[in-house]
Amino acid sequence: MVAKSTLMKWHYITGLIMIIVVGIHIAYRWPSYDASVSWPAVQSQISMAWYDIVLLIIVYAASYHAMNGLRTIMLELFHGGKAFTTFVDVLVIALGLLVVVVGTYTVISLIPL
Amino acid sequence: MQKTRRVSPRWGLWLRGLDEWLVIFQKVSGLALALYLIGHVLAVSTALGFGHNLTQQQWNAIIFGVLEKPHIGAVSVGALLEYLIGILLAIHGANGFRLILMQWFGIGLPKPSRHTFPRATPSPNATAQRVYKYSVAIITIIFIILATYDVFGALLGW
Amino acid sequence: MATASSSEASVETIKIKLPEIKLEKKEVIFKIKRYDPEKDGFYWKEYKLTITNRTTILDALLRIKETQDPTLAVRYSCRMGICGSCGMVINGTPRLACETKPYDLGTSTITVEPLSNVPPVKDIVTDFDKFFSNHKSVSPWLIRKDEKEQFEDLKEYYPQTEEELDNYLQFSYCIKCGLCYSACPLVFLNKEYLGPQALAQAYRWSADSRDQGAELRLKLVDTDNGVWSCNYSGTCSKVCPKDVDPALAINMVKKMLLTGRKR
Repeated sequence: MVAKSTLMKWHYITGLIMIIVVGIHIAYRWPSYDASVSWPAVQSQISMAWYDIVLLIIVYAASYHAMNGLRTIMLELFHGGKAFTTFVDVLVIALGLLVVVVGTYTVISLIPL
Repeated sequence: MQKTRRVSPRWGLWLRGLDEWLVIFQKVSGLALALYLIGHVLAVSTALGFGHNLTQQQWNAIIFGVLEKPHIGAVSVGALLEYLIGILLAIHGANGFRLILMQWFGIGLPKPSRHTFPRATPSPNATAQRVYKYSVAIITIIFIILATYDVFGALLGW
Repeated sequence: MATASSSEASVETIKIKLPEIKLEKKEVIFKIKRYDPEKDGFYWKEYKLTITNRTTILDALLRIKETQDPTLAVRYSCRMGICGSCGMVINGTPRLACETKPYDLGTSTITVEPLSNVPPVKDIVTDFDKFFSNHKSVSPWLIRKDEKEQFEDLKEYYPQTEEELDNYLQFSYCIKCGLCYSACPLVFLNKEYLGPQALAQAYRWSADSRDQGAELRLKLVDTDNGVWSCNYSGTCSKVCPKDVDPALAINMVKKMLLTGRKR
């Protein structure tokens, strides 16, 4: 059983990482959101290897941060003993894995080698 | 007598302080962003053909054919949603950074000290905390202005 | 040297100018949220009362009980902010009835409600069982490794420096009135949350240089329902009548857990 403080330490580490990487991800929507999501802009973004690595870091950091946060909120709002805690743990791990697997599978093949 | 029932709270107590608003925002934005993350990764990955079927048609079909298609007047619902998510992200990030600095490194927390009774200043009202909280509010406002220009600039003729 | 025998000097010292006490009267309406345990429901009742600028809410409630409605249930003991029995929500904020003057609140209608986040017993009286059991659950006492020594005569004391005392003194003023517990939005959200009072005491004892049980105590609060449920809304510290600042204590515990340093 992992101590909650260890989970939270990683929650904060991933939070600090995300301030940088999500900041970069959002900065690429500047100066026009519409233009930044048009195909030529997207193509130029994903063709940069370093940007793909930023995306990969976001996928990993965000999925941990979000799933730990989701777990915290669910365990705060609902109480159902050990069985419920296990259910929430399994649920957030499954959701986190879904994000990580789909995200990694997509981004890995985008990286220009 | 029902032992389990609790006296319901007076919400007014929580709606008049910036600290309490920040807690509400942190929780609500966190939940919204967690759910958004799942949807965003799945949607964008599909639009990118999971990296293996990278075509403009696929991208346009998912992004402009589905997500950005519904409109309220001239505004795309998808773009509006991204705008709101961006604002939640700014609040969550700025306030989260404050919480990390405080809880992990103790920055902005006073040293426990001997009382100057009555009414010593409680730590949430100390100057350092005020600076923190107003910084969060200012960063969020600046972000909202930039995001409004970014998403609706062309529509608003900025 | 001052001449104590000088009659002039002694007359001078006796002339102490006492501050003038001005009694001002005012009629206010007390709107009280009462709980009927038999019907299991709340209802509001209004009482008109003339108060002075020196009347406390507790005085007023007792006067209502004496002169208007003997069925009104109020819990109190010391009447001077020490016992922590008369906590209630006054004009929307949890306060001690014995330390709050209706005159100072400046409103002509004063609302009085039982403390929130705790079960009601009757009228303004609430049940503190869970609150006290939360307090007890963090082992709020000195834990020594040399247990045998506790039952023998002490040959020497445990000296503490001023600095060591200052580390925890502020948090030892808690009177367990439950105002912080009632005000905390996270206690409302998370019914199993230990609450600001218990967690502040976990810090108070762990920060004591005489204590050797910090490791054990921190393990007890390093849980979802322990310190990590706190989001630093700070409401607890703002309503504390003794300026204990539980929010600060909880953050100190978090810092201890994250950095591994005791202080």
